[in-house]
Parts: sequence; structure tokens; C-alpha cells
Amino acid sequence: MNKKAVATGIGVVSPLGIGHQDFWKNLVSGNSGIAPMEYLDLSKYECKYGAEVKDLNTEEFLGRKGLRYLNKGTKFLGSSVKMALDDAKLEMDEELSNQTGILIGSSLGNFSQTTDYFHDIAREDPSGLSPMQSYDVALNSSINYASVVFKLKSFARTISSSFTSSTDAIGNAIKLIQNGKANVIIAGGVEQISLDLYMIFYMRKMLARANGTGSEISMPFDKRRNGFIMSEGSYVFVLENHDYAVSRGARIYGEVSGYGSIFAGGRNSDTGKRVEKAGNAMKKCVDDASMSTDDIDLINANGNSGKLPDLIEAKAIKELFGEESNIPVHTVKSSLGESYGASGAMQTASALLSINNGLVPPTINYEEKDPECNLNVVNERLEKEVNTVLINSFDLSGNNSCLIVKKHE
Amino acid sequence: MPRVVVTGLGLVIANGVGVKNAWEALMNGKDGTAEIKSFDTSQYKVHRACEVKDFKLDAVFENETTANTIHKYTYTAAREALEDSGLSDIAGNDRERFGIAVGTLAGELPPFEYLLRNSPEDKANGFDMGVALTYPPSSITTLLSEDFGFEGSNMVSLNACSSGNHAIAWALDLLYEGKVDVMLVGGGELIPQTEFTHFHNLKALAPEKCQPFDKDRKGLVIGEGAGIMVIETLDFASKRNANIYAELNGSGMSCDGHHMTAPHPEGAGAIMAMTNALTMARVSYEDVDYINAHGTGTPLNDIMETLSIKSVFKERASDIPVSSIKSMIGHTMGAASAIESVVSCLSIKNSAIPPTIHYKTPDPQCDLDYVPNEGREMKVNCVLNNSFAFGGNNVTNIFSKF
Repeated sequence: MNKKAVATGIGVVSPLGIGHQDFWKNLVSGNSGIAPMEYLDLSKYECKYGAEVKDLNTEEFLGRKGLRYLNKGTKFLGSSVKMALDDAKLEMDEELSNQTGILIGSSLGNFSQTTDYFHDIAREDPSGLSPMQSYDVALNSSINYASVVFKLKSFARTISSSFTSSTDAIGNAIKLIQNGKANVIIAGGVEQISLDLYMIFYMRKMLARANGTGSEISMPFDKRRNGFIMSEGSYVFVLENHDYAVSRGARIYGEVSGYGSIFAGGRNSDTGKRVEKAGNAMKKCVDDASMSTDDIDLINANGNSGKLPDLIEAKAIKELFGEESNIPVHTVKSSLGESYGASGAMQTASALLSINNGLVPPTINYEEKDPECNLNVVNERLEKEVNTVLINSFDLSGNNSCLIVKKHE
Repeated sequence: MPRVVVTGLGLVIANGVGVKNAWEALMNGKDGTAEIKSFDTSQYKVHRACEVKDFKLDAVFENETTANTIHKYTYTAAREALEDSGLSDIAGNDRERFGIAVGTLAGELPPFEYLLRNSPEDKANGFDMGVALTYPPSSITTLLSEDFGFEGSNMVSLNACSSGNHAIAWALDLLYEGKVDVMLVGGGELIPQTEFTHFHNLKALAPEKCQPFDKDRKGLVIGEGAGIMVIETLDFASKRNANIYAELNGSGMSCDGHHMTAPHPEGAGAIMAMTNALTMARVSYEDVDYINAHGTGTPLNDIMETLSIKSVFKERASDIPVSSIKSMIGHTMGAASAIESVVSCLSIKNSAIPPTIHYKTPDPQCDLDYVPNEGREMKVNCVLNNSFAFGGNNVTNIFSKF
């Protein structure tokens, strides 16, 4: 395993803007993408806020042809892949096309369109439904679409592992590159806000204000936190073999150098075990990058404003880095919400941009310290040289995955 | 790089539950197709599918919704595979070195469908607590992790009809990297009305039976079930004196990048997947002595697969038996390639290959040895297992005698 995987292109469709430039500008300015939800009619429900993608002009990225058959998630992913490919200045000839794969993490993919289709089936004569109605309803059809439109012929793979989906996809991608099995991979994550997504979180009382009290604010690690705000978007990267990137004179944003993943034993595990396993995932990731915790100078946290998840993460960080550690911790979910399967990729975009701009975006809304989350939370934009970022993705159903992104030397 | 071997198998398919029953049924050419029972098909032109029959769950799950998920099949097959491999209790091992990867196409749609069918006005009626817990596809592997105490990497592969082989390929890479010792891998699927309607309205469903490679083939028959295997490093298997079915030599992927639903007409992606698999497995095209085909019974797939086999295996193509068990158990979608991987290992172990049933009329465009109607006893040293999905998403795995 002697090859390095580097990021040479970033594509972003986010609630804080389209394209990584707008995304970054808004993120470091402390702007919020969270507002009352427009896409869903939530008049019957307690939780009404979300972080929605607005102002995506899909035509600009995918042209007009066939657009009306595409679902929201497919538009998100297709547009972000186009941006990443352009950003990386990859000239797709036949040879490169055969060497380029796509590896995307998404918890639900286009599931909500699949279930919309069933909603029609349940109400109408199903044999009368047009086949075009089911054109884009496979769980992985947004990935298929991108592979067809951009001629990504090495392979196409979709990973679903709940909140860690895109972390696992990026982790899998760097391993394929490090082991010499792939040259270029378009990797990242996509998730879309839908009634389905809302119902899953709402029923399980994971959303802010789900218990009927408090306000709907994303305030990770804050004592007042009461659940997360759901989010959507697509964040993809052109990852390539370092030597290939150098040979073609590509701009390198950074190296993704480590990945670790551990399962915490499921829903019935107690907090102690969860803390231990979250720590093991971070440890495994740091080891994988052949580093020690001393080499990490920023943690891009999972911190999503969930009561238990933030507590577990804070304790795990303290246990691994030491009670005295003052390592800066920030989370982009205060501005962007919890993007589920796309979150790890959303965090990776921020980590790469932190390294390139020497800036840490603020964890907004962080006002009241929770003594149980005794972290050095960056709540104001911080100018700082950033060389190595640890990215955390943790999930109460058991998945814990981490990545390390570092400056390219 | 460590060698990786298969040490346990589990099957739940339409013509038999459990490896022993299923293998007997497959070798005897037993057709698992019957009238659909799980939903009303009166508004459709097709009424048949390969549902799992005579299935009795001998475990208690926490609620009824969970009990009506893919979990009932994946749990049963996984338990069989783990018992078979001698790993049903992994206490004393480092649990973080035991991972799980399972593929599915549709995930846990049926419990949602069941609720919404009864009150279809508002889509929100399709969700209750049980659905909310199991609906994210990742529940398929997290539930198995909870059942068996595996604490290593955990993922669900959502790659339509090649999901199972993708999961196996991903697990193989983890074993090669030395991150894990053992992976529980496979695929599971139910028959959602949604997918039935999807294939029905695309006119991809055969009305009566699945006849792969036959001139009169009319499409696929949808199926359900699960196929699970235990794969592990040879080192780990040797240390515990495990029984070895076969070696998993390698896996090849490709993507047509051609069309959302139709395969590439000359099989460019299929050829690349098979070629990559042979390269990765360091196996010559001369060594393969059985091809467990994707063979869906759709006009396009079977021609494309035949052409691509001829391209890869050249002068040997017509000498290699190629059979499709989809003729008996239907197209189990995300589970199909995993089930076929299990069957590939059984072919190696039992020196026999299952037939392609319902084969009557040769098609001049499909002119290989499809093992028509009768199973065949023969020594099998090396099997190539194909999976080609919608979107041109292809994965081929190669197993050989250890």
C-alpha cells in the first residue's frame, strides 16, 4: 500500500450555496442554511425546520435534455459531479473513462421516489403507470445516471451505512487508490430531504424539538441542544492516485490518508461501550494514516446537536486525546444541519477547504457550555494553519467511521 | 496479500430453505415459481413470482414489522452459514475484526407498502415506529451485527442486481488489507410490489416461467430470498481448522456508462468485468470450467452475456458449461449474485452443476452449452459468477477449488 489518494476536484450542492466557493464563503462567515422547510408541508408536525438546497440551476450543469425525468437527488449528484470534474480539469478521453469509477455513499438514495411510485400504485391502476415514472427510482439510480452521463466506466458502487455512508464511500475509495486498484474515483455522498427522511427521524424523536419543547436550533455540544435539523445536498470529490495527479499537473487540495470503521454493537449498547467504540474508530483511523493523535490539529466533529451523540463524541475525544487536550473541535452541522448519508462528505469538503485556506469555520449557536462536553469548541471563525484534520461520523445505530485529511506536501 | 477462503454457506430461496434442501432442489431442476401470495396481482398481466415457500422463522424478533423484513431471510441464512463455518459463537475473538456486508436492491419496502396499502391517502401513513427503524437499508446489516456480535466494518451495498457481488468484492478488499479476519457477506431481498410493478410496466416480466437463453424467452421472473457466506483469510481458517468450500480468488468490476436500463449491446462492460476478474484472480481463461451466468431470461441480457462470454473465452466458449439458476428461483435482484456465489461454491464442493430449466428451443444468437434441463455431475475447479445490473453496473467473482 504505497500509493497516496489525493483530492483534485470538489463539487458542492449545499444549503449554503452551489459550488465550493459559495459554500465556503457562507460557512466561514457563520451563515446558516437552516430555515422553515419549504419542500414539505409540515403543518401537522412539531418540527418544521430544515436545511434545504435552494437556487440549484440544474440546467447549467446537466443541460436541458431529459431533465424532466430526473429526481431531486439525481440532479444534486449529477450537478456536483460535473462541478468536481470541471474543478479537477480532467479531460475525459476513452482511456481515462475506463479508469475512472464512481463510489457514492447515501443512506436512502432515491428511496423517496421509489415510495412515491408506490404511493401512485396504491391509489391507481398500477398497470396504467408509465414506465418513465419508474425511470429514476432505483435506490442507486442517481449514481447510475452520473456514470452514464459522465462515462465513468471503471465501476459504479453505492454504499449505504446510515450516517456514515459517505465517510465509508470515501474510505473505500482511498483504499482502492492506495492499493492500486483504481486510478481516479469520483467519491462522495448525496442525500435529499423527503417525507421519508423526515418520518424516519421524526418517529425516532431525533429531530430538534421532537419532544415538543425547546427551539429548533442546531447547537452542537451546547447544553441546550435538543436534537438535529435535517439537511440535504451532494458533496463529491475527484480522488486520484497522487502520481497521476502530479503527472498531469493537477491542483491538489489535500490527501485523504486514513480511514477507520468500527461497529458499536447496536441499539442496545450502553453509553460506555459507545464511547469506547467511537474512540476505537478514531484510533483505527489515526493508525491507518500512520500518525499519532499528536499529529492531528483539528477535529471536524460529527456533533449534530443530538443529546446523546454529542455526549458520546465529546467523551470519546477526551479519552483518546487526553483530558488536558485543548485540540480545536468544530462542526459544520450548526450551519448546515445533519445531512445523514452525505454528512461525512460534507465534512470532508470543509476539511479540505480549511487546509487550503488556513481557516476554521465557526460552530455557530454555541453559547452555553455543557460540562459533560468539555471540548475546545471553535465558535468563532479561526485563522489557523491546518495540516491534518480528523473527521468523525458516528451513528447511534452502531456505525462509527473516521477519515483523515492532510495537507499535500 | 492473504488468500481468502469460503468456510460457511447459507441459503433461503424459492425452491428450498437451507443449503441441503436448496441444493437438492437446484440439482433436480425444481421450479420455485408460483402464484404470488404476498400482494394482489389482479390488476396486472403477470401473476407469478418465485416467493420463498415453507419458511418457518425459528427466532423471535422484537416486533412484527421487523419480523416481516429481509432480516428474517438474512438472519436465517447467516445463522446457517455461521454454524456451518463453526463461528456461531465468536466470544473470545476480537469482534472488531469480524465485519458484515450485504447487498440489496429494494431494501425494506414491503413493511411500508403493507401499511400504505391499507390507508393510501397520505404517504405518511406508510410509516410507523417499526418502519422508521428498519427502513434505512443499513438496518439489514446493523441487525445482523446485533444478532451475532460482529463489531468490524459494516455496510449495505445498494447496487441493484449486482449488489451481492459488490458486497463480496468490498469484503474481499477489507480482508486483503488485513483490516478484518472474517466477513459475513451476501445479499437479501423480498418482492416489493413497487419493484414488481417497475419490471411489469417495463415489460420485463415473463408471464409464466423464466427461460434463460431459450429462443422463446419472455423476460425475467421476480424472486426473493437470501444467500450468505462466511469468508475469511486462509490464515484464520487454518488456525481454527475450518472446513473450506472454495477459495475466493478475485473480483472484477466495470460500468457500462451506457444507459439507465439497457445493457451495452456488445457487452463492453460485461467483457471488462470478466476480464478484470480473471486478472485480479490471476486465473487464465483456460482454467474456468463453469460459468454461473447472470442469465435473466430477458432478450437483451442473454444475447449480450453470450457475446461477451465468447469474447472473453474465445475458442473455449462453447466448451464451458454456462447455466442460470434464475430459471428455477427467479431473479432475486440484489440477492441474486450472492445466492449464485453460494451455489458456485457448492458446485465446486459437490462436483456438480445445476441446470438451466425450461430450455426447449435453441436461439441462434445464444449458442453456448447452457446445461439444459438436467443437472450435470462433473469436476468443477474454477467458477466465474457474473452479475450485470441496470445502469450497466457489473461485478464478476471467481471461486476455485482449494
